[in-house]
Amino acid sequence: MLPIALLLTSTASLWAQGPKAPSSLSNPFVLILSLVIVALALVIAFLAKLVISSAFIKLNKDKKSQSGGFATVLTIVGLLSSFSLMAQDKAATDTASAAKGAVSLSSSLNGVSETAFYLLGSVVFLEVLIIIILLFVLRAFLVVEKKAIVSASSDEVVPEAELNWWDNLNRFKPIHQEADIDLGHNYDGIRELDNKLPPWWLYGFYCCIVFAGIYLYRYHVAESAPLSKQEYEISVAKADAEKAAYLEKSANNVDENTVKLLTDQASLAAAKKTFETICAACHLPSGAGSVGPNLTDDYWLHGGGIKDVFKTIKYGWPDKGMKSWKDDFSPIQIAQLASYVKSLHGTNPANGKAPQGSLYKEEASADAAKADTTKAAKVDSTKK
Amino acid sequence: MQVEKFYYDNKTVKWFAYAVMVWGLVGMLAGLWIAVEIYYPPLSMGFAPTTFGRMRPVHTNAVIFAFVGNGIFMGVYYSLQRLCKARMFSDALSKIHFWGWQLIILAAALTLWAGCTTGKEYAELEWPIDIAIALVWVLFGINMFGTLIKRRESHIYVAIWFYIATWVTVAMLHIVNSLELPISILKSYSLYAGVQDALVQWWYGHNAVAFFLTTPYLGLMYYFLPKAANRPVYSYRLSIVHFWALIFLYIWAGPHHLLYTALPDWAQSLGTVFSIMLIAPSWGGMLNGLFTLRGAWDKVREEPVLKFLVVAVTCYGMSTFEGPMLSLKNVNAISHFTDWTIAHVHIGALGWNGFMTFGVLYFLIPKLWNTELYSKKLATTHFWLGTIGIILYAVPLYWAGFTQAMMWKSFTEEGQLKFQFLETVTHILPMYIARSIGGLIYLIGAIVMTYNLIKTIGQGSFIGDEAAEAAALPKVLETHSKEYWHRWIESRPLQMLFFSLIAVAIGGAIEIIPTFLVKSNIPTISSVKPYTPLELHGRDVYIREGCYLCHSQMVRPFRDEVARYGEYSKAGEFVYDHPFQWGSKRTGPDLARLGAKYPDSWHFNHMQDPQSMSPGSIMPSYPWLFENDINAFQTPKMIWAMRTLGVPYPVGYEDQCNKDAEAQANEIVARLKADKLEVKPAREIVALIAYLQRLGKDIKAAPKETKKVVADAAVLGN
Repeated sequence: MLPIALLLTSTASLWAQGPKAPSSLSNPFVLILSLVIVALALVIAFLAKLVISSAFIKLNKDKKSQSGGFATVLTIVGLLSSFSLMAQDKAATDTASAAKGAVSLSSSLNGVSETAFYLLGSVVFLEVLIIIILLFVLRAFLVVEKKAIVSASSDEVVPEAELNWWDNLNRFKPIHQEADIDLGHNYDGIRELDNKLPPWWLYGFYCCIVFAGIYLYRYHVAESAPLSKQEYEISVAKADAEKAAYLEKSANNVDENTVKLLTDQASLAAAKKTFETICAACHLPSGAGSVGPNLTDDYWLHGGGIKDVFKTIKYGWPDKGMKSWKDDFSPIQIAQLASYVKSLHGTNPANGKAPQGSLYKEEASADAAKADTTKAAKVDSTKK
Repeated sequence: MQVEKFYYDNKTVKWFAYAVMVWGLVGMLAGLWIAVEIYYPPLSMGFAPTTFGRMRPVHTNAVIFAFVGNGIFMGVYYSLQRLCKARMFSDALSKIHFWGWQLIILAAALTLWAGCTTGKEYAELEWPIDIAIALVWVLFGINMFGTLIKRRESHIYVAIWFYIATWVTVAMLHIVNSLELPISILKSYSLYAGVQDALVQWWYGHNAVAFFLTTPYLGLMYYFLPKAANRPVYSYRLSIVHFWALIFLYIWAGPHHLLYTALPDWAQSLGTVFSIMLIAPSWGGMLNGLFTLRGAWDKVREEPVLKFLVVAVTCYGMSTFEGPMLSLKNVNAISHFTDWTIAHVHIGALGWNGFMTFGVLYFLIPKLWNTELYSKKLATTHFWLGTIGIILYAVPLYWAGFTQAMMWKSFTEEGQLKFQFLETVTHILPMYIARSIGGLIYLIGAIVMTYNLIKTIGQGSFIGDEAAEAAALPKVLETHSKEYWHRWIESRPLQMLFFSLIAVAIGGAIEIIPTFLVKSNIPTISSVKPYTPLELHGRDVYIREGCYLCHSQMVRPFRDEVARYGEYSKAGEFVYDHPFQWGSKRTGPDLARLGAKYPDSWHFNHMQDPQSMSPGSIMPSYPWLFENDINAFQTPKMIWAMRTLGVPYPVGYEDQCNKDAEAQANEIVARLKADKLEVKPAREIVALIAYLQRLGKDIKAAPKETKKVVADAAVLGN
């Protein structure tokens, strides 16, 4: 039931918000936490079942020897089962409210609103606590039972006095009344019973079918949920806005017109690391060139000024094999890289690739650099 | 009533059981091999058959069709006879079935190692083997229905419903997905292209899981679990409801493998919702299994067979819950293309199929040899090794998958991708190592089992023909007025076959037919042109080496993928792709927009020694591409085949194609020479470079206006 409830709440909250603001359930962090909650709830249900069946075994044993202790065990069982049921309910409602909370609050942790984070976190904590308690109780029972197994024969079937919540949940018939629902089929000794469908299973099935209907209606009839491409556009618009807001107040906002040669050790060291892992694939770690051109000589294909190099890295020259790196590196990183490349000038590494392009002199103006670039392109194309 | 005496055929069961044990070890060893290769690429030793791209299909085919396949036949041949109170219809057919299937497996292994593949996952085998599979499958069907017709039991038990549905659905899936046009004895091209091929392939792929790995094993569970526990099946009506719901709903769920791809949105949504609706029918099977054990849980503690079956059924429940969750788009956006999927699959494969098979073997072998299991203690050891193996296998991979997806999607505040693709790979290598250890432990468990079973066989004496007796089936079956309506079909196996076929045909038909017939599903892009002859050769090399097993060609409409790879993929881009090469896993980066990203010399060096171009890469090297020539003799046939399949090459282009190929090869060789790299134009590497440089180029060349029209059409198409 719980997963179904979760699914439904996710739909409901999505519905409430409309297509523009995706539910916080689409936040992977919330999603994973929710899945953890579901998984833990299932573990709790399973453990609770184990505890209860061991409790009944102990109960029956106690009954044989003495009638005392009955009430205690029953209380524990009742308490535990209701507790775990409540925990499951709580998990469902919590997730739902967490999802809503995430929308209304602006302060966020890991992309999730604080309320959602703490709510989900506390549910997980609570569930872990319950599991620990259950494990302790179970261990206590098992110690008793282990002794019992040694003494008693396992074939002995003890009719259960009462149906517990687990039996009720599944509409189990007591095992000693099994003969009433035996269908009389016999396939190579295999008999079949006519137990009713477990209600939670059946209603879970109905819920899934309803979910399917709502899902299809929302995406393809009402069109109130974004399809893949719209989802993409929404995410890009959001990211662009965030990026613009960040760059506005940050000092990293350099471009090819404002870039200056950096000489501080920290910048060059950072760039050196990137150069030797990424750029080295084509230009070698020394910058001597292999697939890409030699970066240490006086000749440049696309201009050798800091602005030219910045531009080359930022936009690339895709037809010559240099890709654009603007999606991989930030403006300041590109500025550092360009400065590092400039710092390689004249290092004369061994096995340097033959010069390509045209001679570049540092004092050349921006216009001259431009002319060089076009000339260089011509030289290059005639070479081919 | 006359009681008849007859004998069950145990010999065929015995042979299949041997086959299960042998192929199981082979398949798991192949799996371990590639699990190590993925973090230690030198293991491929520069030898083509041992590279990841060729070993991976060997692993998947061996465990699915050899290990589980023989497991199905072993279980069916044992249980069907006993549930029908009849010997198998024909001993000769049983024999042909057994040897035919083993020959198919052998041929499959050899051809896959040799690089003969159709390039479609789980359906890699080439057309002669496909035909052989169809024939053997039909013989198996005749044998099964022959037995059903001469049965002595008036009604057929739920296990057999599952066998029947399995048989008819696998036949349908295999035939439809394997339609291909041969150009030589071991090379063919898929009849379908691009989006349509992808839909058919995953309709098949998903339902191979459903009807080869699930329904037959549910049938086995319905026989072996109540037998081993000596308990009545929990609920007959649950059997009915979950059987029909399962086979009807399962077939629709295929498109959940293609969420966020260029597949039309309506088909994607159908995949999602039918996966969600599948939770309950799948769990019906688990509940019927686990609840059957009510009152017998004390036996589970004692009996290794039941231990294996219980964990198997539990793993089945876990993966059939996880599967629908992974079909939700927001989860799939994280899990798809990562190791999460691999972890999910192995919960099913190691837990459900593996443990079921082990349980059945532990049950059967002592029965067939009329003895007790050699050592229960060893079986329990195997149980724990297996369980720990599964956990150690799956947990690191879940971790790896989730971590990598998060890294892929990370942006800096400046709006740049935070991690290079390679960084996300090297980051999860420790998880890969842990996973291989988990796999090793699981394999050790299987070896322990093999030893235990050999010892059991050694101490028993085999009963080849087991005597049994039962009354003959009366000509007219008595019907009681109070009986369930479903009893009617249970005494009519052919009607069962017919209605099963209807139930499984509906979903596929509703999804596939409109995708083929309605034009708006795949809007045309005018700048997309057929491959050149040399690129076609390169594409064949790409398929042969199994590149699609680690590299996708499908940029999904996500911010990070567009930033990393380029414009997201459109349906119209793939119309000439026979077969499609979207892939299902990104061990390496996506290649859909690779063309013109690097110079030819980069690819040349990269294929020779990947680490020289991207330090830390886990890709193996492909030295043989620099020594082997493409088969120019085949070029005209390739052109002919493509034209037959609808690719618009002009008539008579067969005479021109090799000249064009040479010209294009010479251009590439000249460019390489400029970078001081020498190679002969006929080498395979040249063709491969031609293909790689073509990827995604057409859409980059598309004029702006067309793009807009395409975008509009895409919106309208939804």
